[in-house]
Amino acid sequence: MSLINTGYLEYEELKAVQKLPGKERYKKGPVAVMECVQEIPCNPCEAACKFGAIHIGEPITNLPALDGEACTGCGACVSKCPGLAIFIVNKAYSETSATVAFPYEYFPTPMAGEKKKAVNRKGEVVCEGMVVKVMNPRAFDHTPVVTVEIPKEFADEVRSIQRG
Amino acid sequence: MIQRDVLVVGAGPAGLAASIEAGKAGAAVLLVDLNMQPGGQLFKQIHKFFGSSAHRSGTRGYDIGEQLLREALEAAVEIWMQSTVIGIFPGNKIGIERGMDGKEKELVTVLARKIVIATGASENAIRFKGWTIPGVMGAGAAQTMINVNHVRPGKRVVMLGSGNVGLIVSYQLLQAGCDVAALVEAAPGIGGYAVHAAKIRRAGVPIYTGYTIVEAKKGKDGCVCGCIIAKADDKYDPIPGTEEAIECDAITLAAGLKPVMDLPKLAGCTLTYSSAFGGYIPIHNDRMETSQKGIFTAGDAAGVEEANTALEEGKLAGISAAEELNLISKKKADILRKEIWERLVSLRSGPFGERRLKEKESVLKEYAKRAGIPAAEDQEVEKCH
Amino acid sequence: MSEYFSDDMIVCRCEEITVAEIKQAIKEGAKDVVGVKRRVRAGMGLCQGRTCEKLVQQLIVRELSVTPKEAGTSSARPPVRPVTFGELAGGAID
Repeated sequence: MSLINTGYLEYEELKAVQKLPGKERYKKGPVAVMECVQEIPCNPCEAACKFGAIHIGEPITNLPALDGEACTGCGACVSKCPGLAIFIVNKAYSETSATVAFPYEYFPTPMAGEKKKAVNRKGEVVCEGMVVKVMNPRAFDHTPVVTVEIPKEFADEVRSIQRG
Repeated sequence: MIQRDVLVVGAGPAGLAASIEAGKAGAAVLLVDLNMQPGGQLFKQIHKFFGSSAHRSGTRGYDIGEQLLREALEAAVEIWMQSTVIGIFPGNKIGIERGMDGKEKELVTVLARKIVIATGASENAIRFKGWTIPGVMGAGAAQTMINVNHVRPGKRVVMLGSGNVGLIVSYQLLQAGCDVAALVEAAPGIGGYAVHAAKIRRAGVPIYTGYTIVEAKKGKDGCVCGCIIAKADDKYDPIPGTEEAIECDAITLAAGLKPVMDLPKLAGCTLTYSSAFGGYIPIHNDRMETSQKGIFTAGDAAGVEEANTALEEGKLAGISAAEELNLISKKKADILRKEIWERLVSLRSGPFGERRLKEKESVLKEYAKRAGIPAAEDQEVEKCH
Repeated sequence: MSEYFSDDMIVCRCEEITVAEIKQAIKEGAKDVVGVKRRVRAGMGLCQGRTCEKLVQQLIVRELSVTPKEAGTSSARPPVRPVTFGELAGGAID
């Protein structure tokens, strides 16, 4: 796995380990993408989902399993994941664009309307992104969740924005 | 002479948890720590913790520290800060250099019926050319600088070591506004959690697995101005001809931790060597009691792990000390211990925990063998898993 | 061992003991951390070996082809942390 050597997963490798939402689910709107691929003792995402869409169970080292039908893409799990490994992808955002929501714990916190360089899992810039939403309520405990609008073809690639 | 039921050395998660449990049971607990503030490393941990949502995971380390301090106060735990234990003497006498607000420190002796050694761990050094130049420091030191003192160790940092400490501190250096020029790891793969590695990769930090630092370069000011890295062979020795230069003004070393063993050694506790736990540790039983009756251990001092396991081990020590003082019934203590061991087994499960789970079992077995425990009780040790 | 591990490299910072001095101590018969400490004072300084003990251990492991366990750990004696004479005179260990 490239993850072990380089710190990031190729999308193909991710798909082999985690059950990702299918085409049909993406058509319905925003959905969580769990990029959690190692059996570590951790389960706050399970309790974070009030729709019961995330299942870990026992043992606590199980990988989280997402029920795509139950998931509303609300993003409550994103800020709760200590590994910052959950993203909300909306491929039905518009005809040509998608949105990706990700946790972003750097200063300055971006603001809606800002243009940012969108980066992939390796930190490489892949396209321009427009910040459309920044959620940072107290319940998120200092983990703002930033949503960027990007060209649809990069929806499986973009996972953050360039810092600064 | 000052007398207390339980003396706990070290106010990190393990020491606080032990103090809280013993204090709740009604013991007169004195908690001693050489730092300014209790909490150990918790107040440096600005990230959200892994673990079970039933037990504080998803909560940031410093918030867990605050919770524990409140619980310690509620349990009437007496805390001496800036106070250093300088020795344990026969008859459970403990020499303490006691820090007094605004006054000179003085040496006092405390007679304790039970002692809990929760002195934690210290960072391992790595030796390469120039490792003593200013700007080369432990990753933990850098973490203290940014998260406690709000001072950046440098503008551009090279991190050595990809365990969770190396990965998390790299991330926090980025959060503090430093650049991390590279994360260098001599092993062929990343040691810590992939999700931590993914965070810093996403932020553009290059990760060099199979590389090691061979030299820290000294600038005109006498401080670090760069480093040379090279590919590492299977013994982690640099391979000549593979060198690359990286510009940086700080090098942080995350080469693992080793348990602090001064006090167990002084107290005559039998030690055993465990590479999975970072070095020598006191053999102990499932109540965290060492080979010396009445002396307990917990947390990183009983084997380097993480805050969650330290908390649980601390509880074991506190409950068991209170039980020996007849403040908790055996029945109640057994029930509590069983629950705690279930959590410990779950925290030590999965590919990252298995080795520690096995190693802890063999430490308990070694205790049963070497501390001269009858076979009947030995089986009880086994039952706890 | 690579050219980068030169003999003049400092191992014990407190007492300024080099690789060469530790190797010499091993040659003279030191078999473990305590043996090295007694011969050349590595680990006897302010930090009491907190920084160098593992490095000394590694050198012994390499030079003598032993396990880290066999290379051992240093002994401890009070005071395990530095105290001033003033404090020693002022207080009483009774």
